[in-house]
Amino acid sequence: MSFIAFLGAIELGLVYTLPAFGIFISFRILNIPDLTADGSFVLGAAVSAVLTAAGHPVAGLAAGITAGAAAGLITAILQTKCGIAPILSGILTMTGLYTINLLVMGGRANMPLLNNETVFTLSAALFGDIFYKLELLLFIVTLIFVLYYLFFKTQLGLSIRATGDNEDMVRASSIDTDSTKMVAFAISNATIALSGALVAQMQQSADINMGAGLIVIGLASLIIGDAIIKNKTITRGLLSVIAGAVLYRLLIALILTTNLAPSYLKLISALVVAIAIATPTMKKKFELKKLQKKEASLC
Amino acid sequence: MLTMKHINKTFYLNSPDRRTILKNFSLSLKEGEFISVIGSNGAGKSTLFNLIAGSILPDSGKITLDNKDITFLSEHKRAVWIGRIFQDPSKGTAPNLTVEENLAIAYMRSKKSHLLKGITKKDKAFLRERISCLGMGLENRMNTKIGLLSGGQRQAVTLTMATLVKPKLLLLDEHTAALDPVTAEKITELTQSIVSSEHITTMMITHNLTTAIKTGSRLLMMDEGKIAVDIKGEEHSKLTVSNLLERFSQNTKKNLNSDRMLLQYD
Amino acid sequence: MKKTLLFITIVLLLATATGCTGPSDSPADNSKDILKIGIALPMEHPSLITIQESIIDELAAQGVDMDINVKNAQGDPSNISTIISQFIGDDVDVIVPIATPTAQAAAAATKDIPIVFAAVSYPVEAGLVTAFDKTDGNITGITNAIAIDETFKLAQTLTPDVKTFGFVYNTGEVNAVSSIERAKEYCDANGLEYKEAIITNTGELQQAAQSLAGKVDAIFSPNDNMVASAMPVLAGEGIRAKLPVYVGADSMVADGGFASVGIDYTILGKQVAQMVIRIIANGEAISDNPIEVVCEYAKIINKTTADQIGAEIPQELLDTFTILE
Repeated sequence: MSFIAFLGAIELGLVYTLPAFGIFISFRILNIPDLTADGSFVLGAAVSAVLTAAGHPVAGLAAGITAGAAAGLITAILQTKCGIAPILSGILTMTGLYTINLLVMGGRANMPLLNNETVFTLSAALFGDIFYKLELLLFIVTLIFVLYYLFFKTQLGLSIRATGDNEDMVRASSIDTDSTKMVAFAISNATIALSGALVAQMQQSADINMGAGLIVIGLASLIIGDAIIKNKTITRGLLSVIAGAVLYRLLIALILTTNLAPSYLKLISALVVAIAIATPTMKKKFELKKLQKKEASLC
Repeated sequence: MLTMKHINKTFYLNSPDRRTILKNFSLSLKEGEFISVIGSNGAGKSTLFNLIAGSILPDSGKITLDNKDITFLSEHKRAVWIGRIFQDPSKGTAPNLTVEENLAIAYMRSKKSHLLKGITKKDKAFLRERISCLGMGLENRMNTKIGLLSGGQRQAVTLTMATLVKPKLLLLDEHTAALDPVTAEKITELTQSIVSSEHITTMMITHNLTTAIKTGSRLLMMDEGKIAVDIKGEEHSKLTVSNLLERFSQNTKKNLNSDRMLLQYD
Repeated sequence: MKKTLLFITIVLLLATATGCTGPSDSPADNSKDILKIGIALPMEHPSLITIQESIIDELAAQGVDMDINVKNAQGDPSNISTIISQFIGDDVDVIVPIATPTAQAAAAATKDIPIVFAAVSYPVEAGLVTAFDKTDGNITGITNAIAIDETFKLAQTLTPDVKTFGFVYNTGEVNAVSSIERAKEYCDANGLEYKEAIITNTGELQQAAQSLAGKVDAIFSPNDNMVASAMPVLAGEGIRAKLPVYVGADSMVADGGFASVGIDYTILGKQVAQMVIRIIANGEAISDNPIEVVCEYAKIINKTTADQIGAEIPQELLDTFTILE
């Protein structure tokens, strides 16, 4: 793998860590599958593209975050106040967002940003070296990581963690679980949208289809990361997400360097993820067998 | 303290399975009372607790707590004043959070919580102190995930959580039924000591007649959604199992043995 | 802790073991001897594959020594930039992105390496160039905007009684949306009416087509990747309702559509290959190679479909058009 490909993979891994963080909140902490992700990612991208084209790339990121939070709130409200099942709520929001995203981009499915000032061009001017993308992304990911870490140390953060663990007990402690869910969904989708906003500026275009498969990528990152760093605490959990996201992109880049027919890419990705998940179980089985053999030989 | 007036509750109202659990039910509790509630399965005890706590709402009637109308108040809003411990030890605690974290959540009932604040060192010391009152050594396991503790230990933690911030009313829903006799005894003792030292108004559902008679200051026996027997004061202190059963037959014109009630007595 | 070490080891291994070379580490010998070409596709799709194969065939036919690397993002947009990064890292002499999203990713990733795109319908709208003849950057290529006017004129000849058209297309594709806009302009200018049925995934195609039956006299679908990938469904509905289905690509006629004055992807591929040779083998400047439109249109009619909907094909068309059975 060439250095540029390696660097590119790390950069992509970092930017896709953000939706993985968001998915971590919904799938792992709250234990609620939230399918809004594909839609809120593109929403962030669309909003960011429009503002970047108008000359305000940083505002584009901020607007992306806000829009994502709103999308998350809608899903949460559908679930908590309208009594719609979680998976369906996410799908409903995601479906509605398709139209909204098209409208945001002025009715177009694709919005190019090729000669606009983006946060990355600003970063290039600031850092001046070939690592300007990496440096900006490292900064943002670290910032979000710290914010998450601090947030989950607060009482609200603790309430959210408890909501995902035993909702009844949280209510019995006089905490409104509808509110905790709304906050969690808002934060989750705001982070996912931020990632979309960054990707749009990084790849200098926003496309209505760019969210395709995002949840799968996010979950794969969570799973791979979990195999490497067990998420016993929130901190370790977040670190495992970063590790998983980066490793996932490195694996894809590696597979692409081989001369396998391109159509093998998906199969190999699936195999790698399966091996990652199966390894701990396989290890245990192997050790058990060893133990049994030892016992048998002693008799 | 707590009054319930003309409460009616029917399940499956519009279907052939409709069951009226409580019909024109009224009850009044005084502050500091400890009431044992007994009755066969289906008598309406759990429904009664659910109505008081707010997990279900009545079809008609009024419930007030300290003169505040709480009939249709949502569950989590009532939880500020009403503590509840369930039979299932895993229901009252969050298994993947530590002992300390669980207690911290319960502690949030108190203050007008500043949601964005964390748990202070002072708070942590307070929680530690309260859990050490149990005398079970749990103060040394503050950072253990609750899921790893035994059923008895979890109920003990739940008890602490429910009384951390003194509730106006404590509901104990057969909270020792799933524990082995030794642990059950211990939890019962702890409950008694906390309730009496803090003067918490308590209602306890139990299937053990002896416990019901020995504990508390008042006994309610329910049958088919009505109060069949209500004994308090002088009468209560002299109560024995046999006069209780006699009173029951008198009031309901039913013979207990033929009813095959699942009461245990030792 | 052990696991974290494992992770770091894996990352380092990946970085070094596969030959971590920087852009400045290219071998000293002149890479002009063997030209490196990177072809990138966004998804598995018959028309795109046709273009890819045609490019490779034509490059081979020109007899130039080259090392061609073909990568396909398999429908996952996030893989496109990984592929482009790989090409850049491999120091290719030219990147040949097929279709708009790939071209945009390439344009964003490099301002130095020549980019010759294939099958971008509206390069100006996509932000790749400011005008067809202004290729002063590193980007040029072959565009495949379909001849909307020609298709409608063909409809006039083949089925002169058609007064209302039904447009079936995917709102998520810029090429399709732009084509339909031009189609609407043509219809407005020529007194033709139209109705629309849009789809956002292939599952919606059947109902979209059925909703138009009875309300329109003919259906038109441009070079829309989504419709093309489920063309037999649309063709089936057209035949059932005895509606002529005019389409934007030859593959769509082969799959049962009625007729097309559209893109011949083989010819498009050839043109791309020829432009690539001119730029990297013959050393021509990109600015001297303005964006080209496909020079020949594929004129195709499907006779089986014609028979099934009861349309007559005039003799002159039988002679000049490619007739599929």
